[in-house]
Amino acid sequence: MIWTTMILKTSNTSKQSVNDLCSFLADYGAHLLASGATCIRLDKNICRIASSYGMKAEMTIMPRHIHITILDEQTCEIQTAIASVPDTGINFSVITELSRLSWEIADKKIDLYKAIDKYNKIIIVTGQNKLFTILLVMLANASFCRLFGGDIIAMIIVGISCFAGYYTKTWLTSRKMDVRLVFIICSMVSSVIGSTDILFAVGTTPEISLSSSVLYLVPGIPLLNSFSDMLYRRYLCSFARFTDAVILTCCISIGLYIGSLLMNTNLF
Amino acid sequence: MIERIFQDALFSAIAAIGFAAISRPPHRAFLYCAIIAAASHSLRYVLMNTGYEMHIIPATLIASFTVGLMAVLVSPLSKIPAETYLFPSLLPMIPGVYAYKTFLGLAVCIFSKEQVSFNNNFFLLWYNATTCCCILLCMVIGAVAPIFIFKKISFQATR
Repeated sequence: MIWTTMILKTSNTSKQSVNDLCSFLADYGAHLLASGATCIRLDKNICRIASSYGMKAEMTIMPRHIHITILDEQTCEIQTAIASVPDTGINFSVITELSRLSWEIADKKIDLYKAIDKYNKIIIVTGQNKLFTILLVMLANASFCRLFGGDIIAMIIVGISCFAGYYTKTWLTSRKMDVRLVFIICSMVSSVIGSTDILFAVGTTPEISLSSSVLYLVPGIPLLNSFSDMLYRRYLCSFARFTDAVILTCCISIGLYIGSLLMNTNLF
Repeated sequence: MIERIFQDALFSAIAAIGFAAISRPPHRAFLYCAIIAAASHSLRYVLMNTGYEMHIIPATLIASFTVGLMAVLVSPLSKIPAETYLFPSLLPMIPGVYAYKTFLGLAVCIFSKEQVSFNNNFFLLWYNATTCCCILLCMVIGAVAPIFIFKKISFQATR
């Protein structure tokens, strides 16, 4: 995953250390980016770690890759590494732990290899209780429906549609299906169930139940991060994240449209 | 009125806890997410529905700035990055109904056969789309701005 490209000037011991630090930081940055960190956090954490080892880091953050150059200012040794961003999914526990590790390195001056050991333990993500998460998301979406003015029937329908849609999402994601296709299918599943309120006229707020049934799919974190990157003047990364968010939103709309057509709700 | 504000805060808190679970935050973050979401969403409700009668766009900007501010202030106490709290606390403010009406308006426009009905639907499409985009912009800028204003607090939270 990491390609080391260039060494200008080396001495045996420092070569090893600069090489390892560079590989470690490229991998560290790639995991931070994959977990949903913003460019400013990536920049600060990586520069903090590099300066704790008496080195300087420069980086280019691309949407799918991270490119890091480490400079040992004493020996003038330069090392460059590129790492691909793994497909781990959003995980704020990992961001918290990786940020904490960067402060631990800076404050306690821990050894590089000890830090790499700690890092390897952090990135092994322990499994989440999937059923519990689905139940929480289902409750959240039902509450959402209430906030938009939905009645109790709409809340129940939204809860069920969210359960079915989120379960489908977990199942399809575990089978490594393309994320855009996953969004279309899940949005379709949720809207098919969400439209029962329109078809059978069981509640008084059928439109709200249909519109809230797909809101658990809203790509909020890419959207928030894109604006954070824009304020930090990392326009390339910002634009990439924004495009990602827009494409996923379009996929939600397509799924909703197909679901409505299938159920013949006469909305269009 | 107090009952309605309480109800708004309660449902926002439940929504925040549920949606926080998607982004897998540390367990202690759930409580703070619920508090921030309840405070900010009920603030927006008060601004829009009590004597202030504020429009949804400025009310969302004020509420989302409150989310960002509270997230920055809470992050050193919980030792969790402020960004963790933003998404679940903001989500209850997502203009879902406006987005839905925009999409609906677009579809109805495409299938309109007469100019009068097309113009009417195009007005609804444009009105809902601009409102939806403005709310989204206010939400993200309002929430992210405090992280940049208080950079030192935000990026030393996990220390």
